[in-house]
Amino acid sequence: MSAFGGGGGGGGRSFGGSKERGKPGQGRGGAAGAKDGGKRYFFRRRKVCKFCADKIDYIDYKDVKLLSGFVPERGKILPRRMFGTCAEHQRKVTLAIKRARAIALLPYASE
Amino acid sequence: MSQDRVYEVLFIADPNLGEPEVDALTVQVHGYIEKEGGRIQKTEKWGKKRLAYLLGKHREGSYVLTTVEGGTALVKEVERRIRVTDGVIRFITVRVDEELRKAERRRARRAVVESKRKVRPPRPPVEDVEEVEL
Repeated sequence: MSAFGGGGGGGGRSFGGSKERGKPGQGRGGAAGAKDGGKRYFFRRRKVCKFCADKIDYIDYKDVKLLSGFVPERGKILPRRMFGTCAEHQRKVTLAIKRARAIALLPYASE
Repeated sequence: MSQDRVYEVLFIADPNLGEPEVDALTVQVHGYIEKEGGRIQKTEKWGKKRLAYLLGKHREGSYVLTTVEGGTALVKEVERRIRVTDGVIRFITVRVDEELRKAERRRARRAVVESKRKVRPPRPPVEDVEEVEL
């Protein structure tokens, strides 16, 4: 049985294997790959929207302390993927940052 | 009758102005608002703050925040007047009533959801588990 599995895997790798024969090879690869899978892929922390978690309903443009967390040194607004904010809150953060910029509470772009 | 809206008028005064002058400027702006039939809810003075970037030649400015209740015509006229007022280096008017109302609603909804959650009785403790010998 194990010999057949090994043969199937080999077939899959050499382009010659049909789907039927490729399957056991993949299955075996998956079982072994689970170990080095952790090595290969970055450990991804599950990101939760800060505003949903902290139950912040109104994102105030005057709250520099809160907003500056979403603006790095250069002054760019960080994308959603960096902070895991949900779409709704990201829109609100963006608007608040833009308002804060208009009245010089946050920079447009650092010098 | 259309319902009045709530706006925040935030302006930055020239940092070279002294405290009494900033106060005078605030009174002046309040005058604009009251003349147009706006009602001032509250005023906050933040004092001198560093600006995030240069405004003209200024590195810092005195922030004054006023919350106003009034109609749409009010904003137009007050902004026009602030624009021509000496001593104000930057201002912004933001409508806040809708967002605050939404936030209030969301808070209320969450309170309901949470109270419902608490209603569910805790699972009764497992007692009297007799061990059955097979």
